[in-house]
Amino acid sequence: MASSSSSAASANQLKTHSREAVLLVTLLLLLLLIIFTAFVTRMYHKKYHVLADEWFARGEASFQAGDAAAALNDYRNAMIYSPANPNFQFHLARSLAATGRNDEARAYLLNLLSESPGSGQINLELARIAARGGPKSMPDALRYYHAAIYGEWETDPIGMRWQIRREFCEYLLNNNAMNQAEAEIIALADNTSPDNLEEQKTAGNLLLRARLWSRALQQFQTVLATDPNDQVALVGAGTAAFQLAQHPQAAGYFNRLPPQLREDPSVAGMVDTSNNIVLADPFLLGLSAEERAKRTANAVTMAEARATACAKETGEAPHVTAPTSPLQKAVAASDAAPADWSERNLRAHPERIDAAMAAAFDMENAAANQCGEAAGLDYALWLLGRGRQGGLR
Amino acid sequence: MTDVATPSALPEPSAPSSKPAPPRSLRNLWATWRSWTNRIFSLREDQLFMFLAVLIGIFGGLSVVCFRVAIEWVHLLTLGSSIFPPPLRVMLVPAIGGLVVALLVIRVFPGARGSGVNQTKAAVYISNGYIPFVTVIGKFIICAIAIGTGQSLGPEDPSLQIGAGIASRLGRRLNLSQEKIRLIAPVGAAAGLAAAFNAPISSVIFVIEEVIGTWSAGVLGAIVLAAVSSVVTMRSFMGSESLFRVPPFRVAGAGELLAYVVLGVIGGFTSLLFLKWLAYARPRVQMWPRWTQYFQPAAAGLIIGFIGIRLPQVMGAGYTVIDQALHGQFSWKLLLVLAALKILATGLSFLSGTPGGMFAPTLFIGAMLGGAVGSIEHHFFPNISGTVGTFALVGMGTFFAGFLRTPITSVFMVIELSGSYTAILPIMIANMVAYLISRTYQKVPLFDFLARQDGLYLPSIEEEREQVPLVVEVAMITDGALVALPEELAADLAKRAEAKLDAPVLLRVRAGDWHFVERDEIKRLATSGSLTTKASEAKTKGPLPVLFRDQSLEDALHAVGDWPAVPVVSRANLSKLEGVVTLADILRAFRNASAE
Repeated sequence: MASSSSSAASANQLKTHSREAVLLVTLLLLLLLIIFTAFVTRMYHKKYHVLADEWFARGEASFQAGDAAAALNDYRNAMIYSPANPNFQFHLARSLAATGRNDEARAYLLNLLSESPGSGQINLELARIAARGGPKSMPDALRYYHAAIYGEWETDPIGMRWQIRREFCEYLLNNNAMNQAEAEIIALADNTSPDNLEEQKTAGNLLLRARLWSRALQQFQTVLATDPNDQVALVGAGTAAFQLAQHPQAAGYFNRLPPQLREDPSVAGMVDTSNNIVLADPFLLGLSAEERAKRTANAVTMAEARATACAKETGEAPHVTAPTSPLQKAVAASDAAPADWSERNLRAHPERIDAAMAAAFDMENAAANQCGEAAGLDYALWLLGRGRQGGLR
Repeated sequence: MTDVATPSALPEPSAPSSKPAPPRSLRNLWATWRSWTNRIFSLREDQLFMFLAVLIGIFGGLSVVCFRVAIEWVHLLTLGSSIFPPPLRVMLVPAIGGLVVALLVIRVFPGARGSGVNQTKAAVYISNGYIPFVTVIGKFIICAIAIGTGQSLGPEDPSLQIGAGIASRLGRRLNLSQEKIRLIAPVGAAAGLAAAFNAPISSVIFVIEEVIGTWSAGVLGAIVLAAVSSVVTMRSFMGSESLFRVPPFRVAGAGELLAYVVLGVIGGFTSLLFLKWLAYARPRVQMWPRWTQYFQPAAAGLIIGFIGIRLPQVMGAGYTVIDQALHGQFSWKLLLVLAALKILATGLSFLSGTPGGMFAPTLFIGAMLGGAVGSIEHHFFPNISGTVGTFALVGMGTFFAGFLRTPITSVFMVIELSGSYTAILPIMIANMVAYLISRTYQKVPLFDFLARQDGLYLPSIEEEREQVPLVVEVAMITDGALVALPEELAADLAKRAEAKLDAPVLLRVRAGDWHFVERDEIKRLATSGSLTTKASEAKTKGPLPVLFRDQSLEDALHAVGDWPAVPVVSRANLSKLEGVVTLADILRAFRNASAE
C-alpha cells in the first residue's frame, strides 16, 4: 500500500515537473515568437512604407507630366500599401477628377472631408469637381469654394485664399452669375496686396470682365503708378476708360502702348475709336473757339451724310415734309434748325454748338438704329453722342 | 495556502558526480520558477483554463500576424507590388501556385484540406479536441501560398484552424482533462478568427454560433479572453485600424428600409445559388480520378488568372477591393461583374480542393452585390439617403447571413467592421431576409453539408438551434394527482383516494416541500382505529424534487429518477400544483415526439 502511494506521488511529481517544463518552454516559445513577429512585422511595415512611397512618387511624376491615367494607377498602387494615408487618397481623388471620374473622386474627397471638414485643399477639389458639373451643381460649387476660401491652409494661407477666390470669380463669370461675381471680385480686389502687381492686374482684368469699369480703372491706375509702362495695365486702363467714355484718357493709355500691341485686334478698335473721338469731340477742354466750331460743323456734315446714305440704303427719302421714321425726323429736325450751322456761324454763335451736336448725335443714332452700327468717324461720333447722353456707366 | 517550492525541493545532486553542480543563482531561479508554476498549477482547472485562454490568445494573435505577413510576402514575391501585374504573370502565378498547393496537400499535409471550420468542429466532436500540430504548419504554409498567389479564398477560416491547433497542442502538453482539451480548440479558434478579422465580438459569436453551439459560462469566458488577448496582440503589431475603412453613412428612414429588403431578397437568392452550385458540384468533382487532384488547383488558378488579366480584383482575399466598393468607387455594372466573377472564382478555388477560407470571398461578393443593388436603386429612386457604400456594407452582412447561415454573427460582424450602430436596422432586416430565404430553400447549411459529403456527421448547430425543445408541459398530467395537507384526517383522505383511484397522492408539507404517500399507507392509517389520525402521520417518500412546466424533459428525466411521480408547480407559488409527471409520462412524450 505504501509503495503504491509513493509511486503515485512520484508519478504526480513527474507530471507536475513535466507541466512546469512545458509551461517554461511555452513561455520561452512565446517570447521567441514575439521577437520573431516583431522582426517580421517591422520588415513588413518597412517594405510597405517603401512601396507606398515609390508608387506615390511615380504617381506624382506621372501627374506632373500630365498623364493622369498613369498617375491614377500609381496612386492606387500606393494606396494598397497605405490605404488610410489621407495624402494618397487626396492625390488619387485629384487624378480621378483629372481623368473625368468625378463621382469616384467625390467619394474619396467626401470621405476625407468627413475626417477634416475644415481642409481648404479638399474643399477646393470638391469645388472644382462641382464646377465641372455644370449649372446643376452650382450650389455645391459655391459652398465648397467658400469653404475652401475660409478653410485651413498649411502653407501661405493668404496667397492660397487669393488664388482660390480668383478661380471662384472666373467660375462665376463663366457661368454668368454676375451678382455673385461682382461681390467676390470686389472682395478679391480689396484683398490684393498693392505691392503685388501681377495680382493687381489679375484683379483688374476680372473687374473688367464683370464690367466694373471704375474699379477696374482704379486697379490699373494703381499698377501704372508703380510701373507706368506695364502693357497689361495700359490695355486694362485704356479699356476701362474707353468703356467709361473717358476717351481722351483711354487714347492716352492706348497711345503709350508699343505700335504692334496697338494693332492687336483686341484693342485696335478701341484705339482707333478713342483717337477718332479725341479728334472729333468739340467738347474737349482746352480747344479754341475756332476748333470747337470747326469740329461741330464737321460733325453735322458727317451726320447728315450718314443719314442720307442710310436713307438711300433703306429706300427712304431723307428730306420729306411729313417725316415718319426716326431717321427722317432727325434729318427734319436738323433741316429745321433756326440758324445756319456752318463753321463760320458757329464760331460767331458758340451757344449753338450744343444744339448742333445734339442734332448730329440724333442723326447718327437714328442711322445706327436703322442701318446698323457705323464705322470709323461715324462710329466715334455715335459713341460720343451715347457718352454725352449718359448711355454708359 | 499554495504549496511553495523551496530550493530544497530540487533533487539533490549526488555527491560523487562527474558533472559540476549548477550555480547557485540558477538554482534560485529554478526555485522561483517552480514556486510560480506551482501557484499556477494549484489553481482550479477552471481558473487555469482562463489563464491558458489568455496565453492561447497571444499565441493565436502572433500566429495570425505571421500568417498575414506570409500571405503578403508571397503575393509580393509572385505577383509583384502593382495592382495590374503583367498578363503572363497573372495567368501563370495562380496556376503554378495551384500545382505547389496540390503537391503539398496530397503528399505532405493531407490534414490541411478544407476551410478550417469543419476541421475544427471535427476536432471538437470526433477527435476529443485533437488537432495535429503538423496540420497547423501545413495550413499556414499552404494557405499562404494559395491566397498569396491569387486563389480566390480568404485567410480567416485557416486562421481559425491555426488558432485551434495551437490551443489543442498546448492543452495536451499541459495535461488538461479530456473535457478541457475538447473545449480548448474552440477557444483557440476564436482567438485565430478574432485576430484575422480584427473583430473580437463577431468571432466569439461565430465560434459559439457555429462551432460549439452553447453559451456555457465557463467556455464563454475563456473564448472572450482568448479573442480579446488575440486582438490586442494583433493590433500591437499591425495597428488598430479596422479591416475596412467604412465611410460615414446616413440613417435610413422607415420607408427606405424597403430598399434593404430588396437587397436582402437579392442577397438571399444569390447566396442560395452559390450554395446550390457548391452542393451539386463538390461530390461530382470529388468523384473524378485521383490523379486529377494534382491539377485541379492549378486549373482553377489558370481560370482565375485569366479573369485576373482584366479584373485582378477577383484574385486573393480582396480586402482592398471591398474597401473601394464601400467608398462607392465602382459603377454598378462593374460591381455586378465582380460579384459574378468572384462567385465563379471562389467556387473554382473551393471545388479544386485548395485550402482556404470562405469568409473573405463571401464578404467580397456581398459588398459588390450590395453596391450594385444600391446603385440601381439610386438610379430609380434618387432620394434614397443611403449611399452606395452603405448598401455595400449591408450587402456584406446579407450575403454572409445567407451563405454561411450565421445570422447573429453577420449582424455583429458588420456593426463591428463599420464601427457604428447607425446602420443596425438595415443590416438586421436585410440579413434576416437573406437568412430566411437561404434556409427555406437549402435545408442544410454549408458547413453541415460539406461535413456530410466528407462522411462526417457533425452536430448541426443550426438544426439544434431550430429544434423546439420538449418541455415538462408536454408530458405532465394536469389534475392527475391528489393533494393532501398534513392536518387532513386520514379517513377523509382515504375516502378521497378511493374516489380517484389512479391518481398519485402527494402530501404538501409546506410550500415546495412535497412528499409521496403510498395508497397502502393511507389505508393503514385510516384503519388504524383512531378517528383523529392525520395525514402528517403517514410514512412518506420525499421530499420530492419539483418541476416547472417550462423546464425541459431532459431536466424532468434527471429529476424523476426513482420517484414514482414528481409534482409540477407554479413558479410564482410553490404550493400550487399544476400537474404531475411520471417516468412513463416522460418516455411517452419522447416517443410521441420521435413519431412526429
